Amino acid sequence: MKDIHFKVNGKNVSVNCAPTKTLLDVLRDEFDLTGSKECCGKGECGSCTVLLDGVSVCSCLVLIGQIHDVSVITVEGIGLTSNMDVVQQAFVDEGATQCGYCTPGLIVSSRSFLDGINHVPTDDEVKTALGGNLCRCTGYTKIMKAVQTAARKQLTMEETTN
Amino acid sequence: MSKQVEETQAYKDKQNLQWVGKPVKRIDGSEKVTGEQKYKTDYNYPNMVWGKVLRAKYPFAKIKSIDTTKAEAHPDVVCVLTHKDIPGFNGFGIVTPDQPVLCENVVRCTGDAVALVGAETLEAAESALELIEVDYEVLDPVTDAEKAMVQGAPKLHPDGNIHSHVSIRNGDIDKGFEEADYIFENTFYSPRQMHAFIETEGGWGMLKPDGSLMIQCPAQYGHRDKLQIARALALNPERIHVYSSPNGGGFGGKDEITVQIHLALLAHNISGRPVKIHLSREESVLAGIKRHPFKVTVKTGATKDGSLVANKVCAIADTGAYASLGGAVTALAIEHASGPYKIPNVDMEGFCVYTNNGIAGAFRGFGVNQVCTGIETHIDMLAEKTGLDPVEIRKKNAYRQGDVSSLGHVVKSSVGTIETLEKAEQCDLWKNRDLYKSQVSEPWKKRGVAIATSFHGVGMGLGSPDYGAATMELLEDGRFKVGVAIEEIGTGNGTVYAQVAAECLKCSLDHIIVVQGDTTKTLDSGTISASRSTYTGGRAIATAAPNMINLLSETAAEILDVPKSEIELANNKLMVAGDESQFVTYKQICEILLDKRKSTRVEGHFYLPKEKEELRNSGGAPHHLYGYMTHVVMVEVDTLTGQTDVLKVVAIPDAGKVLNPQGLEGQSEGGAVMGIGYTLYEDVLIEDGMHKTKNFTDYIIPTIRETPEIVTIPVESNEETGPFGAKGIAEVVMIPIIPAIMAAIHDATGARINRLPATPERIYHAMQATKKPSLISR
Repeated sequence: MKDIHFKVNGKNVSVNCAPTKTLLDVLRDEFDLTGSKECCGKGECGSCTVLLDGVSVCSCLVLIGQIHDVSVITVEGIGLTSNMDVVQQAFVDEGATQCGYCTPGLIVSSRSFLDGINHVPTDDEVKTALGGNLCRCTGYTKIMKAVQTAARKQLTMEETTN
Repeated sequence: MSKQVEETQAYKDKQNLQWVGKPVKRIDGSEKVTGEQKYKTDYNYPNMVWGKVLRAKYPFAKIKSIDTTKAEAHPDVVCVLTHKDIPGFNGFGIVTPDQPVLCENVVRCTGDAVALVGAETLEAAESALELIEVDYEVLDPVTDAEKAMVQGAPKLHPDGNIHSHVSIRNGDIDKGFEEADYIFENTFYSPRQMHAFIETEGGWGMLKPDGSLMIQCPAQYGHRDKLQIARALALNPERIHVYSSPNGGGFGGKDEITVQIHLALLAHNISGRPVKIHLSREESVLAGIKRHPFKVTVKTGATKDGSLVANKVCAIADTGAYASLGGAVTALAIEHASGPYKIPNVDMEGFCVYTNNGIAGAFRGFGVNQVCTGIETHIDMLAEKTGLDPVEIRKKNAYRQGDVSSLGHVVKSSVGTIETLEKAEQCDLWKNRDLYKSQVSEPWKKRGVAIATSFHGVGMGLGSPDYGAATMELLEDGRFKVGVAIEEIGTGNGTVYAQVAAECLKCSLDHIIVVQGDTTKTLDSGTISASRSTYTGGRAIATAAPNMINLLSETAAEILDVPKSEIELANNKLMVAGDESQFVTYKQICEILLDKRKSTRVEGHFYLPKEKEELRNSGGAPHHLYGYMTHVVMVEVDTLTGQTDVLKVVAIPDAGKVLNPQGLEGQSEGGAVMGIGYTLYEDVLIEDGMHKTKNFTDYIIPTIRETPEIVTIPVESNEETGPFGAKGIAEVVMIPIIPAIMAAIHDATGARINRLPATPERIYHAMQATKKPSLISR
């Protein structure tokens, strides 16, 4: 057992657990942040995607002992129903969520992708960015649109604030 | 006004629809995109017991003994259960309950459950599994469905290995082939596709202090699960409560019992503590049902003018170790094996066969995916032979509403095949196909464009109960709680239910709350399967609505002191006709009703229309309702490697009136991509009864990178019996795309593939063999 201090969604937290426990299990079991899902447990599907210091990773592949002093952002940290992020709103508007089990991972990957660009991405760019997130319901078409819609809105918002 | 008149008035009044037909956003969208939506597998409790299942070590073996002593001695183990601990009937299965809850004498596949462990932690449960000693006498597995059918093959079940045999005969098949100028005969093999829902099977259960049992588990028919649990545990089904919504995807894979009975057994042995089971992906691959692999031999006869005159089909379905819905899958396959056409002479039969290859069951398309390839490929071969246009041949042979189908029955419900084909001919991809085909991305790549059409029954067919039921309750805050048991599985049926309710009651959408998949709060309304949930649930709500309108109008008339006939529904209120100043709100009505101790809840019940007579030995054909669909696709094949990409898809469904265009497109796009996976990539490999495929590392489903441009152009035939004219959509969307991709590969390369998935290797070898005259199989 080990004490591990890190940040989750902006808050300083600590856990005492085996350092070999996955970050995903800690987020779900210790913090009840169940937006991140386990689907394959092998880093193939992206359902457990979170941001570690701004970089999107599969939290099922990260051991809690590795994230001492790291800042973790989960889907809940991107936005809740009371304060949805543009990318979350775009997913709702475009109908990009069906069963919704993969959606949190896609939201995190999309947010991470949009943080790094300041243009409306092409289909190919979105495909490269979200290639690691499996979805079995939607056929991805509306997800692609949603990311582009969010990028457009984000640009408009930036222009207004500038 | 009579109920009937009120009910139909809303349908007739289609010009002024406020909600139906509009791209209404999902009512549960926000919870899904923020991760706030709780799935049943998301719950954890401090005193929770973790359940694990010991699976069979061999695909086929006799159990000589099971020793649980060491496992029970593990300090963190709460209980270890075997077949001896089952109080009721040790079996389950939707139609034939031949699958043991926990095996006693024999195991028939490596997904078989032999024992259950309940422990303080997941780790303890896992290590306890290894302490259970099972002594097996290993048997040679039966791994080939055809070999399983012959006399002398080892029997998996007492009645032999042929679970079911169905057939449909119409006309005179010999005469048909005599009339034919051309005869095509080929054999097609289809893969063991995995549902690959993102949420694996799981959930939790608890025996409550009052002795009732609660099971919380994603599932496709909670009311039926109750009965299967009750049978195994010898319980009163009324004392079992199943909460089965939402599902993190299902596609048929959660139609059968998954973990429900195991949870119930554990819950009964741990003194009221909650218990959780959540399968890892590896365990889900092993134990979960799959699509039936088929071998289908098809012989089609046609005349020079393009008329199909005879079709003979023999389909053999590998159902694995247990029946589940295998019999029904095989029956539906046979019903659809001659396509949406009027072929006067048909002879079709299907066998559903037991093997030791895992377990197969319900999966989106339900047998039609496997048989649509034969007839569609033969139509294309006929077009090639005669020089006739492939679309014209399909139009010429397609039945219209009122025609006699290949099955020999008059099709009374709406039929959109010809309209979908016309739209296909007019679409940009088809009209400009030569241009598109010339724009290859590399000189060594070749493009092909092709079209295919198919259909799919809506609802259960003959011989199975098929009904819908909805409740509608006026709440104190002036909103309506609409209850339909049919689960939310991802399709957004709850949003459609809210749309239908708001339309009928003439209120805004935020006045509707939808409750699904909760056996304590909803009436049995059948499965979320068979493309039935929009049609059935929508129709049940539309049947409950006049009862609510009647209740509202009566009370409003009393409050406003006018005759009931003068009351009319207005937006979010009831008013005196022609006088907007005289109105009452729903809230006021609820107050009065509660004051008078009157019920504020109404019900609506609905039986799906059925044909009068079942075709002999057909296993449930014909259906009364079918959805129709045409796909146009473009592929690009790398001639050096066989690697194939689908670049464009035009999807043209006839699902009747579209209630929510955004939802319909979502189904169409998801179905197209799942159809691409089926045709090009997906197969669960089992050798000697052992799974070679374990996880998404070696089971490849399409990602966003394999997603083509998909355009959906609905044809809205009006189905008189449906809610506002709707039929069903969820399955047909992945069907014609399969033969369309196969035909497009042929258009590009001249190669015909008859064994799916069409992997690069198979395509490459087929291209090499194009000089040979017949289809090759490898």
